[in-house]
Amino acid sequence: MKYDAFSKCHPAVNFLFFVGAIGMSVVIQHPAYLLAGIITGAIYYLLLNGKKGWKTILSLLPMFMILTVINPLFNTLGATPLFHIGSRPYTLEALFYGAALASMFVIMMLWFGCYNKVLTSDKFTCLFGNLIPSISLLLVMVFRMVPNFIRKTQQIIGARKSIGKGISENATTKEKLQDGGTVLGALTSWALEGSVVTGDSMRARGYGTAKRSSFMIYRMTATDWILLTVMTLFVSLTIMAASFGQFAAAFVPNVSIAPVSWGLVTYICYLLIPTVLHVKEAFAWHISRSRI
Amino acid sequence: MKKSHIATLLVFLLLIPATLFLGTKLPGRGFYITGTAIIIELMIPFFMAFEGRRPQARELVVIAVMCALAVAGRAAIPIPNFKAIFAIIMLTGIAFGPEAGFMVGAISAFASDFFYQLGPYTPWQMMAYGAGGMLSGFFFAKGRLPQKPLTMAVFGFFAVILWVGPLLDCSHIFLMLSQVNWSGVLATFISGFYVNITQAICTVLVMLFLGRPLLEKLDRIKVKYGMMEDENGL
Repeated sequence: MKYDAFSKCHPAVNFLFFVGAIGMSVVIQHPAYLLAGIITGAIYYLLLNGKKGWKTILSLLPMFMILTVINPLFNTLGATPLFHIGSRPYTLEALFYGAALASMFVIMMLWFGCYNKVLTSDKFTCLFGNLIPSISLLLVMVFRMVPNFIRKTQQIIGARKSIGKGISENATTKEKLQDGGTVLGALTSWALEGSVVTGDSMRARGYGTAKRSSFMIYRMTATDWILLTVMTLFVSLTIMAASFGQFAAAFVPNVSIAPVSWGLVTYICYLLIPTVLHVKEAFAWHISRSRI
Repeated sequence: MKKSHIATLLVFLLLIPATLFLGTKLPGRGFYITGTAIIIELMIPFFMAFEGRRPQARELVVIAVMCALAVAGRAAIPIPNFKAIFAIIMLTGIAFGPEAGFMVGAISAFASDFFYQLGPYTPWQMMAYGAGGMLSGFFFAKGRLPQKPLTMAVFGFFAVILWVGPLLDCSHIFLMLSQVNWSGVLATFISGFYVNITQAICTVLVMLFLGRPLLEKLDRIKVKYGMMEDENGL
């Protein structure tokens, strides 16, 4: 993964940012804010994923179209019918509403995509290690075992092939399933036996005898505190703007949308935090390199 | 009263009504937030009970292994799009009891989403698989249902069709529909039917062909090391 300044922040900052971004995107249906959400989300997603990110973003486009045109089929409210399907009207307002809801979905998927890249499994377990010690230990073990088991599966399949027990190219589904069952069985036996050894080893080393301390690689730095303050500021301003009714937007039966006001600026500022950090870091790196 | 019992009561008497009440006041996709919050709140007591019990190292590792097997299981079977995940969760529930079934279901759904893509549906998936694992543990405990491949296959089929699939479709209803009405709900269930039926068939196939041998392996571990047997009641 490319270097990303926001990913280097404290996991709590990352996590809270995404809770705010996804939480707000789910409740705001004002078109200007939706557009802002899509653009900021897409920019950060592209910064994180590079050129490959375009593929995901383009794949969200048909999803957007489908969700938009489907909505009027189920929501028949609306003042301007475009045409009728049977006796049910297909209205313009419902179409707009569908577009708004589809945008929400796109924004959510974009931010969840960023979340996946930023809040990696180690950060997650680090964040919740003290709150849910057993479960986060469980998760750490699962994250380690899955690649391990996949590797072991390949070894078992290879070993079976080399003694002439592998399946042929044109095996029937039943044969494939039975062969898969043998492999899965071997894997299960091996994994369960190994688990008992691991468990005993953990006990021998004193697991469960005292409160477990957890290794924290992250510390709250001054930057993290500043970021938290800035985030809180923007979120409270946005919530204040919402309480003034700046986000009000109704689509059915008639489209009525509140005029765009300063709330949009605070909302965009909030969503741009990771992008700004990323770009700032890239510039600083560029400048310090050009000085050499 | 145990800590986890208090948590359960708090969740049911305070947290869920409060969420429902606040949820009606949210604009936009408020009902998605409400639904997801309730799903997460419903899982809290289970996780707290697990934490409060301070599980032993062996038990913890066995649960982790079953989760990893459920996630990695598809690497072993050379059929594309074959989802063995729920079958393995069910077998865990049957062999190791309802609580282990729930934990393996919820954790493996979460972990597999970490490997593929976390999304707005993740909590629903955790609940669906977790409760599915728990149910199978409950129904097959103490010989309530015979642990025969055919019974397990039938149970697995209906568990997917009637519980796991519809719950996942519910997340789509809350996520995609602008108005929750019958025609929309019906359309979502119909569009989800193909995915559900494929998963149900995968579960049935695993149960019929691999159910017995895999269950024997899990039981063997139980007998050999005398673990996961302190299931009190249910």
